[in-house]
Amino acid sequence: MTPIIQLDNVSYSYPVSEDWILKNVSLDIKKGSFVSIVGNNGSGKTTLCNILRGFIPHFHKGDLEGAIKLDGTDMSEYQLGQLGEKIGFVFQNPFTQISGVKDTVFEEVAYGLENLGVPVEDIYERVEEVLSLVKIQNLREKNPFELSGGQRQRVALASIIVMDPDILVIDEPSSQLDPIGTEHVFEIIRLMKERGKTIILVEHKMDLVAEYSDELIVLDKGEVLIQGPTRDVLASDVFNKAQIQYPHVTEIALELQKQGVPLNFLPIRDSEITTCFENDRGNK
Amino acid sequence: MNQNPILSLHPLTKFYFALFITVSVIIVPNYIFAYAWFPVLMIIAAVAKVAKPFISFILKTLMILLVIVFLMQLFFYPGEDVIGSWWIFDLTHEGLMHGLSLTSRILAIGSAFILFFRIVDVKDFVKALEDIGMPPTGAYIVLSTLQIIPEMRRQSNTIMEAQKTRGVETDGSLIVRAKAFFPTLTPLILSSIASTEERAITLESRAFSAPGKKTSLHKLTKRPIDRVLPWVYIGIIIGLIIWRVFL
Ligand SMILES: Nc1ncnc2c1ncn2[C@@H]1O[C@H](COP(=O)(O)OP(=O)(O)OP(=O)(O)O)[C@@H](O)[C@H]1O
Ligand SMILES: [Mg+2]
Repeated sequence: MTPIIQLDNVSYSYPVSEDWILKNVSLDIKKGSFVSIVGNNGSGKTTLCNILRGFIPHFHKGDLEGAIKLDGTDMSEYQLGQLGEKIGFVFQNPFTQISGVKDTVFEEVAYGLENLGVPVEDIYERVEEVLSLVKIQNLREKNPFELSGGQRQRVALASIIVMDPDILVIDEPSSQLDPIGTEHVFEIIRLMKERGKTIILVEHKMDLVAEYSDELIVLDKGEVLIQGPTRDVLASDVFNKAQIQYPHVTEIALELQKQGVPLNFLPIRDSEITTCFENDRGNK
Repeated sequence: MNQNPILSLHPLTKFYFALFITVSVIIVPNYIFAYAWFPVLMIIAAVAKVAKPFISFILKTLMILLVIVFLMQLFFYPGEDVIGSWWIFDLTHEGLMHGLSLTSRILAIGSAFILFFRIVDVKDFVKALEDIGMPPTGAYIVLSTLQIIPEMRRQSNTIMEAQKTRGVETDGSLIVRAKAFFPTLTPLILSSIASTEERAITLESRAFSAPGKKTSLHKLTKRPIDRVLPWVYIGIIIGLIIWRVFL
């Protein structure tokens, strides 16, 4: 598959800071894939998202080096306004993601479509659909300023996916959500992938990351330690040294392996816990 | 849809009416004419069912201004024709006339705009301005300011609570509260500045600067009366000008 986003030796430092926040980042993101970016706090995940969406260098100036390509075209050739339709970005902080000009959640979700000039009849239809997809129909008449953190996070997600961008960049969408809400958000993201969207997700909850993503990118202090298929990355020594949490099944399996229990393969999803030991038991 | 004959008018029809009153009292020097607008505005307010807040707002704000202006003119306007005196001041006929004409105009114009803001929804008004070519950025600034004021009030309460737990006194005498002002204000301003940038990014992520024409769920309807009334205003203004110049 062709890469939809390509970064080649990208380095970046914020205007006021001395040091490079991202260092020689090179990566390829394939069209239609679900890629998760993991790394510890401050490793540069949000900064990387800002670069992918073009907010760096449009909003945050600073020094940006290297080549960034979107769909084979250099990022600098796109105008910021054009990118809105192509790349949706749900940010980490749900409290600032409110337009501030709409009185109800319904209007808030519709705002992006109004800006894109979508005909009014279509707006009603699309907003309805997204409200039920994200399960926030009950909030439709509420004032966006009067929502809880989790509710805001859902509204923020709805406001972006309603615009139907080809690429979704989602930065910690579940930080304010309860476990069921989190699971549900992942289901929505999976659905988006099934509709052919490219997904770039930042998330700390490794169980879900491993369950859903095709590929992992591991960031550490602004450098890409490794990129590849989820299972390969989790099985690698590099990941082991990166001080990032494993999915629970993987951690248990690795511990058992250390104790001498042979593994058929490295499990990364809860459902694999039985099969990964199976063959050995049969042999004995 | 709103059935009230006044409230259901297009926002610009209401706005032009306030402008119409302003221009008319400038053209016609007669203070009785200008004062006569006030009962007319009251009738309109009554039909729109806003008479009570309209009058109480005028009493609380405009009235004080009018009294001060009137007394200033009465006592200090230079004139020959002395009609009375009080303490060391002379009251002149010129002062009286000038006071009346000035206050009549302030009352007419002031109450016309106060009524305007009573009978228009600011969101509708901004939408109407956008429809006639105001740039979306300008519209955004007005609307977001309206929305953010209550949000900032809420935030300043939170900050005050936070400062209280750090030992800053926020209740009590005026001086105590004045001292608390800066520790409260500084974080409020700083956080507002920080959120401005984030808000700009939020807007951008909602395609605010997308090329092409925007659409809107919020539609204003223009009925025939909204097309006719502005011409009626213009007609009357032209009539008044002709009357002033030729008669
Ligand atoms: N606007 C900014 N100006 C200057 N430095 C910044 C700015 N935003 C982030 N940084 C710095 O860049 C580094 C990476 O921050 P970033 O927000 O990308 O991390 P992150 O991986 O998203 O962390 P988290 O998991 O906490 O969200 C941090 O050291 C941070 O201090
Ligand atoms: Mg982050």
